[in-house]
Amino acid sequence: MRALRFTAAVAVVAAILEIYRILPPEKINNTTVSLSLLLAILGVSAWWGLAEAMVASVAAVLGFNYFFLPPVGTLTIQDPQNLVAFIAFLVTAVTASQLSERARRRTAEAEARRLEIERLYALVQAMMPGGSARKTIREFVNKVVQVFGCDGAAFYYRPTGEILRSGPESRPVSDHDLQAAAEIDDVSIDPGRLLATAPVRLGGRPLGSMALIGGLPSEQTVRAIVNLVAITIEKARALEDASHAEAARQSEVLKSALLDSLAHDIKTPLTSIKAAVTSLLGSAPGTERELLTIINEEADRLNQLAAEVIAMARIEAGKLHLEKRPVAAADLIAGALSECAAPLKGRQVTVKAPKELPSAEADPEFVEQVVKQFIENAVNYSPEGSPIDITAEVKGGKIVIGVVDRGPGIAEHERSRVFDKFFRGQQHRFSTKGTGMGLAIAKGIVEAHGERIWVESEPGQGSAFYFSLPAVTGREAAGGRES
Amino acid sequence: MSAGKILVVDDDPQIRRVMKATLVGHNYEVIEARTGEDALESIPREMPSLVLLDMNMPGMGGLETCRAIRGGSDMPVIILSVRNSEKDKVAALDAGADDYVTKPFSIEELLARIRAALRRAPSAAEGGPRSFASGELEIDFDARRVRAGGKDVRLTPKEFDLLRYLVAHAGKPVTHRELLQAVWGPDYGDEPEYLRVFINQLRKKIEANPARPKYILTEPWVGYRFAGGE
Repeated sequence: MRALRFTAAVAVVAAILEIYRILPPEKINNTTVSLSLLLAILGVSAWWGLAEAMVASVAAVLGFNYFFLPPVGTLTIQDPQNLVAFIAFLVTAVTASQLSERARRRTAEAEARRLEIERLYALVQAMMPGGSARKTIREFVNKVVQVFGCDGAAFYYRPTGEILRSGPESRPVSDHDLQAAAEIDDVSIDPGRLLATAPVRLGGRPLGSMALIGGLPSEQTVRAIVNLVAITIEKARALEDASHAEAARQSEVLKSALLDSLAHDIKTPLTSIKAAVTSLLGSAPGTERELLTIINEEADRLNQLAAEVIAMARIEAGKLHLEKRPVAAADLIAGALSECAAPLKGRQVTVKAPKELPSAEADPEFVEQVVKQFIENAVNYSPEGSPIDITAEVKGGKIVIGVVDRGPGIAEHERSRVFDKFFRGQQHRFSTKGTGMGLAIAKGIVEAHGERIWVESEPGQGSAFYFSLPAVTGREAAGGRES
Repeated sequence: MSAGKILVVDDDPQIRRVMKATLVGHNYEVIEARTGEDALESIPREMPSLVLLDMNMPGMGGLETCRAIRGGSDMPVIILSVRNSEKDKVAALDAGADDYVTKPFSIEELLARIRAALRRAPSAAEGGPRSFASGELEIDFDARRVRAGGKDVRLTPKEFDLLRYLVAHAGKPVTHRELLQAVWGPDYGDEPEYLRVFINQLRKKIEANPARPKYILTEPWVGYRFAGGE
């Protein structure tokens, strides 16, 4: 191919010389011949390159000298003008060929770049992440090999330490090479081994490294590829996270539905038992009456137990739906008291809840349960007949509600644990009924309001349980109960 | 003679069994339905005097069934449910139920609720007015007819009793407890949410602008007051 071009270059020069030799000598002068040759050399250098142009120049100088420059028929130069023509040929040949060479190289480069961009684009289009980050990387590595026509590619995924390879020729790069490449800062291309390695980073965070073997694209393209893989991995990870979050949400929904059906399933047989036993109780004689009362009470206890288990599960699942509204502390206390009428029998209860207190922002239904729990606790852990005080006041911008008993109090080391699930004080471990979840549920309710629950106690004097609620500020405080 | 015919709607056969045994023992006639759909089918045929309706049933469910019953009749409906949140109670009353009983319940409580629901205050026995007319609102207590804004309005029995009690005490604040006991019965008094729902429904039916009521006014912290004839 090259030899053909050299021959052709010489042939062009020979053809020009031949034309001028055939033409009658009076029609031509040496300047015309030399200019024609110059044009031919320019053409050769532009189309074929420097080497061909040099050969053409030498042929032209020799031919021109031999056939046209006096003494015609020899290769000697008498006139320094001829020397000038010879140098002009050479300079033209060199300059033109260099210029055209550069242009040609630019075109080739542009073409190569266009091709790489096209391939990158194909890569981007192929990389719609789906599935896990790992699967996405594997697909990506395969795709790079396929699109860029490399012999092989390898990827080191740092978060899991995994190395994924593609193509039969990917062995030449060792695991160690890849791990080292992840730590350096830039692309490194080793033309001898036909190996390009580059770290893969996203926002400075190392994700791993990538190696391409054989048929290397340009450095910029390697950089583009690793950027692309970083973005693709990140996208795949984000998608993965999102689907995890969705799965978690669905499992929460499931949990909540499960709790509801549990509530239903436990309470349905209890409903039959309770209805049947209370129906029998109405007309039962003495001894039977006692036994039926036991069934009835135990059915109530089971019901209470089921309710507490479900409440606790809801709190732990973060499934407490609060419907907050401004509510007066006095109403909360009154509501709880009305439900505690039976256990409070024979107790002297003092309520100190000034009317002028600002309202609290709370879900009254749940908060009443907290007050009720405090009251039941006071009843269970203080001597029969001892008085109970209930207070509501403003402290540090919060509404603080408290229930104070005159019981034995709580030892200091037990105070922090009374709100734990199933915790029982040392002295009461075997004596008091209940599930041991009441105060834990109360704590869950108060904390769902973003507030605090605590106990103060003086052993021998009694205990005081408190919780805080946010106070409603401004005029909406009063009369916000109903419209 | 039976004290009334009660339709028990519950998907749990044991509950239907207990209810039937107990209610028959208390002189009621009992018919059963397993689902809301079955209930709606048997109501026109059997014309029960009261419906005990489970809230959580497969198929159309208690609330929807209740709304469907209300679409065609004003017989008392008591919803039975294992849920005891205020939201569920309000949803049931909003669907047109007269009362709401949380499972499990004692039979005495249920019987009291049934008696209350079946009880109708005799027309003029309380010495209240026989009729009322002011502006856009006309009430004929004997014929149980209400016209508001020039149109006939249909009230459920409980809504009607509530309105009658308020009109009979026009101009005076009536406490929540007093209203509850007068309309629902002596076992009631701690269900202010019942009043919230029923008063809202009444206002929607008789007030030109329910958000700014002209007749049924709220007495904050106390109860309600009927403002008639200005």
